[in-house]
Amino acid sequence: MLANINVLLLDYALGSLKRQGGKSIFIFLVLCLLIFLLASVLMIADAIKFELNTTLKTLPQITLQRFVAGRQTNVSVERVDTILALNGVERAIPRVWGYYYFKPAGVNFSIVGIDAYEEPYKKRLSELTRTFDLSTLEKEGGMIVGEGVQNVLRENYYSDFFNFITPKGERYPLKIAGVFHSDIALESNDLMLVPKQAAYTIFGMPPEEATDIVVHVSNPVEIPTIVQKITERYPDLRAITQDDLRISYQNIFDYKSGFFLSLFIVCVFAFFIVIYDKASGLSSEERREIGILKALGWRMSDIVHAKFYESFVMALSAFLTGFCAALFFVYVLQAPLLRSVFIGYSELKPPFRLPFSVDVKMIVLLFFLSVPVYIAATLIPSWKAASLDADEVMR
Amino acid sequence: MICLHHVCKRFAQGDEAIEALKDVSLEIAQGECVVLRGASGSGKSTLLSLIAGLAQPSSGEIRVLDREISKLPEHLSALFRRAHIGFIFQKFHLIPGLNVEENVIAPLIPANLPLHVLHEKARIKMEALHIDSKAKRDVKRLSGGEQQRVAIARALINDPVLILADEPTANLDAKLSAELIEHLYMLKQSGVTLLIATHDPLFFDLDFVDRIVELKNGRIV
Repeated sequence: MLANINVLLLDYALGSLKRQGGKSIFIFLVLCLLIFLLASVLMIADAIKFELNTTLKTLPQITLQRFVAGRQTNVSVERVDTILALNGVERAIPRVWGYYYFKPAGVNFSIVGIDAYEEPYKKRLSELTRTFDLSTLEKEGGMIVGEGVQNVLRENYYSDFFNFITPKGERYPLKIAGVFHSDIALESNDLMLVPKQAAYTIFGMPPEEATDIVVHVSNPVEIPTIVQKITERYPDLRAITQDDLRISYQNIFDYKSGFFLSLFIVCVFAFFIVIYDKASGLSSEERREIGILKALGWRMSDIVHAKFYESFVMALSAFLTGFCAALFFVYVLQAPLLRSVFIGYSELKPPFRLPFSVDVKMIVLLFFLSVPVYIAATLIPSWKAASLDADEVMR
Repeated sequence: MICLHHVCKRFAQGDEAIEALKDVSLEIAQGECVVLRGASGSGKSTLLSLIAGLAQPSSGEIRVLDREISKLPEHLSALFRRAHIGFIFQKFHLIPGLNVEENVIAPLIPANLPLHVLHEKARIKMEALHIDSKAKRDVKRLSGGEQQRVAIARALINDPVLILADEPTANLDAKLSAELIEHLYMLKQSGVTLLIATHDPLFFDLDFVDRIVELKNGRIV
């Protein structure tokens, strides 16, 4: 195939780009910018989807919340034994969680109380943490925090521990025993995992109550049946299944995707304006040059070949530049400005890192949306001009 | 060499049809130098375009080197032009942004010849026209005379047997016109057939011009 390439024709085409100088640079920059924006949008959406999917895997199968007068309230821990007695229920764990407002930074931390002695938590925690010191947590003197929390605390001179203020106005210090793994950073970035007893103290809750109850079943197919049994027994409990949460997260993602979709549409629209401009005709200089070349003995196919090389080099170099710039922008610079559209559904603006996740289908889609379209838009008017009589073109 | 038989050419201009050539019949022998004389709009340039295969006649037949060029498909007429015909344009029609050498080799770029062959051919033509010292200069920075010589070198790069010149002195002063005539004379001496469309009186008394054909309103008179 390479042997079929006329190097002189290719050189002529490259020279033609050079001769057009400012115009070539302008088109290159516009194409680069559009491909960069399109690629960035798709990459961020992809990375966040990956992040959400990773997070969804860690969600409980059933979460039970108690509602009184339409508002969520604490649930009695005694109900756990009744739920555990139901056929098919493997585990039922009362949870204590809530938000803690950290005034100096003006942010909320999500606090979750855990029982480190329970085997499933231990297993999950060791998966979730990078520098997790289980023994410290077991002594109930430590907590595990998301990277965002760690950074906020550090900025406020809490590098090893943090002093909570209880509702009674007393100080309650907890050592930072570990930091969450970045794979689940979006969800866990504002999270503080503290011993259950510590959570009771921080929130000032009575020990016979819990914020909610999470239930694990042996056979996931039985989830609807078990949910039905629980809600029949306790009509004031609302059961949220993993699927409900998945839908809820997906809704948040889809809602925020709308912003990106708007940006995507604007980019595509701008791209097609450039394409339309290219396809709608050639300048008089370009038409004259085609006429001269025909008079000198160039075939129509020679002219189309030269224009193909010209547009291919332009489109491919713009595609590669725009795509590499997007890779750098999204994964190295962490997409400043753009990613804030997606994150921030807790009040802590979490400085989480977008995980590297590039979909080959996305690259192919982007390539076929840009390179062949641009080449076609360049070739069509050139072919039209070349198919006219040369004297007509030159006149 | 060239044989035109009852050639007509009509153009559409808006709703009107303009007849640029009307029943033109002409024969030119190999090595002959023929001047096509006529006022602007008389059909000289159209006739040259038809002979070069740049346009198709509306009716009639055109044979060049025993090939019916008026019936050749586009790609074959281009190849024919590249192989046998050199074109000298009224306004030089050099390609701006290319240097002298690149302009000279432009007709042979699609031929995919080895680069050293092209450079050698270009060197010979540029030396003959005394522009070899300016081979790498952008054509926009050349004088009118130099540009004319580049255009001639380009027309000769394929060693054509037929040169078509359209108003070759229209943009030249007297000195440069004399220089161009000298070049055309040398071409005639080397056996090249010349067909020069012009209304410049300089050409009408030249010794090496074999025949003057007058065109008026698209007809040979």
